[in-house]
Amino acid sequence: MRLTLRPLTGLLIGIVLVVVLPSLSLGQRKRRPASTQPVRVSVDYSKFSHSTQKHQATCSTCHKIPTSSWQKASSFPDITDFPGHSACVSCHRAQFFKGVRPVICSVCHSKTSPRDDDRPEFRKPVALLQFTTEFPHDKHQDVIAFNRTFGGLAFAHATRLVDQGYYNCSLCHTARTSVPQAPDKGWPDRFVPVVAAFKSSPSGHSSCFNCHWKEQQPIAENCAGCHKLSKPFSNTVAPSRISLKFIHDGGGEKKNHVAECTTCHINITKAASLRGLKPDVPITACTECHNREGLRQDVSKELLAIDKDKSFTCIYCHTSDVGKLDPPASHYLIAERPPLKRKDVK
Amino acid sequence: MRNLFLLKSIPRTRAICLLLWFGLVIWVAAPIGLTQAPERATGVLRLRVRVKVDDASPLRGLARKRFFLIRGSREQNLDVVHAIEQNTLPSRDCYYSKLGASEQLRAWLRSGDCESIYCRAVDQNFVTGPNAVPEFTEAYAMGQKEFGNDETALRWISTKVSANLRDGFYKSRQSFVQTILKQAQGSAETQVRSVMTDSNGTAYFTELEPGPYVLSSIVPTELGANSAIWNCDVLIKTGDLATEKPYLVSNRNDKNVKCVAVERPLPSCEK
Repeated sequence: MRLTLRPLTGLLIGIVLVVVLPSLSLGQRKRRPASTQPVRVSVDYSKFSHSTQKHQATCSTCHKIPTSSWQKASSFPDITDFPGHSACVSCHRAQFFKGVRPVICSVCHSKTSPRDDDRPEFRKPVALLQFTTEFPHDKHQDVIAFNRTFGGLAFAHATRLVDQGYYNCSLCHTARTSVPQAPDKGWPDRFVPVVAAFKSSPSGHSSCFNCHWKEQQPIAENCAGCHKLSKPFSNTVAPSRISLKFIHDGGGEKKNHVAECTTCHINITKAASLRGLKPDVPITACTECHNREGLRQDVSKELLAIDKDKSFTCIYCHTSDVGKLDPPASHYLIAERPPLKRKDVK
Repeated sequence: MRNLFLLKSIPRTRAICLLLWFGLVIWVAAPIGLTQAPERATGVLRLRVRVKVDDASPLRGLARKRFFLIRGSREQNLDVVHAIEQNTLPSRDCYYSKLGASEQLRAWLRSGDCESIYCRAVDQNFVTGPNAVPEFTEAYAMGQKEFGNDETALRWISTKVSANLRDGFYKSRQSFVQTILKQAQGSAETQVRSVMTDSNGTAYFTELEPGPYVLSSIVPTELGANSAIWNCDVLIKTGDLATEKPYLVSNRNDKNVKCVAVERPLPSCEK
C-alpha cells in the first residue's frame, strides 16, 4: 500500500508526538495531588527570616538607623544592634509571653530570661546571610576617577596626593590581616597561601556610609538600594583562585605585582554589579614579565615540559587542581605556538 | 513539494516509523540545543591612550578616562558623533565658578584633576590652616556637631558638602553621557560597551562581536587649555587575544596612532 494524500497525516502524528505528548507528560510530572486536609505548619520561632511576608516592611520599621547607642559599638553612625522589642511584640505577643523561656527571645538574646538582656554581636557572626550586596564597580570607578595629570601643579604634587589617600580600588580592597578560611576539602596540594596573596573586601557599612549617609543615594536608610533578599547563604566561602600561588603584594624585592588593580583585572571598570564577576586577568598581564625574551620564560618552560611528558603538572602559578588541566589556548599563543591538548602530545 | 512527492513512494508503516524516529531525535536534541549556546567567535580591543598637554610636554598615558565602543561605523553613527562633537558642556572651572565655589576648592579639584570631591581624601591640611578649603572647613564643623568625633567628621566630610559642589559637575557630564548612550543604543540596537583606562592609559574591551565600531570618549577631556574628544572608526576581528599591538589613541598625530582627538580651546565661562 502506498501513501497518496496521507503524508500530511504522518506529519501531523509526528508533530503530536514531538510537541503535544512531551508537554502533557511534563505537565503530569509537575502536578501534585491536591490535598483537602488543612496543613498545620509548625513555626520555629528561634529563627528569624526576612523572607517571611510580614517581615518585608520598610527596613526602618524595625532597624533604627543609626542605632540609638551606636557610639558604644562603633566609631561611626551605624546599625549596631538588634531591633527593639516593639519591632516584634506587635505581632508576636503570644510567643513573647509563652513559658518561662520563650523560644522567640533566642533570635536576639544569648539567654532566654527576662532578667538577662545579654545579646550576641550584631549581626550574629554564625548566622547565615539573608541579603546579597549590590555594588556597581563601574559607577564607583567613575566617581572616584582621579587623573594624575602631568606638567604644572598636578604632577609636582603627585607623590603627595598618593600619600593623602589616592581614591581607587584600594579604598575598599586593602591588604588582608589573615589568610582566608581554607575550602572544606582543604587547600589544594596542602598549599597554604600567604596573607599577601589576597586583598580584603568590605564587610561592613564603614566603606559605604562615609559617602552614602543621608544625601547620596542609596542613602543609609535605603537598605534595598544595596541589599537584595536572597536564599540564606554562608559568608565563609573560601576564595576561588586559578593561580593560587600569585601574591598580590609580591613580585620580588621590587614588588612588581603592586600595580593599579585594573591593569590586570581588565573587566572590573565595566562591571555593573558583583554578580557575574569572573576571573578576568589576561595571561598578558603576567607574561609582560614572566614570559619575556631575555627575562624569564616561565610559561614556555612548562609548555615544553608538557611536550616531554603529557602528565606534567604546571606548578609555577597553579596548584595541581588547575595545573593538570590542558593549558588554555592563550598560553600557547603567548609562547608563539599553536594550541595543543595533552591527549594530542605524542 | 519535492519531499512530499518522495513520500508517496514510501510504504505507510515505514513513513510512520521514520516520523517517530525523527520526533524522537528532536525530542532528545532540542533541550541540548537550548542549553548549549553556540560558541561565539569574539575579539578583543586593547587601547593605549597617550596624550600631550602641550607641545613641550612628554607623551604620557591618559589615566582613568572612560572610553565607549558604539556598534557600527562612524558613517552609521553620524548623528551620535555630531551630537558628541557639538556638546556645550562647560569646563570644570566654569562649572564651579558659576556655583560660587571658592578659589581654594577649584584649586583642590584642579590639582588632582578631580571631577568631584569624591576623587581623593580630604586631609586635615585642607580643613584648617593656610591651605584650608572653606567648603571643607564648614562641612567638617557640621560633621563634628553631628557625629561627635573628629575622625568621622573628617572621613565623612563629603556628606556635609552641598550636592552641586559635591558632584554636580560629574553628574551633569553623566547626564550628557546617558543622553548620548540612549541615542547610540537606539540607532545601533545594541548595548554600548565602556571601559576605563588604568594609570598607564591602557584598557581592554573583551568579548566583542566582530565588525565596525566607533571608539568614543563621549565627554571631552581637559588637557591644559584645550579639550579633546575622540570619535574613531575601529574594526574588530575575531581571534585577537590582545597579544597583538595595542590600538593607539592620542591627541597628537603619529604614524602609529590610529585615533587622533579633535582638540579645541576650553569654552569661555558664561558671565
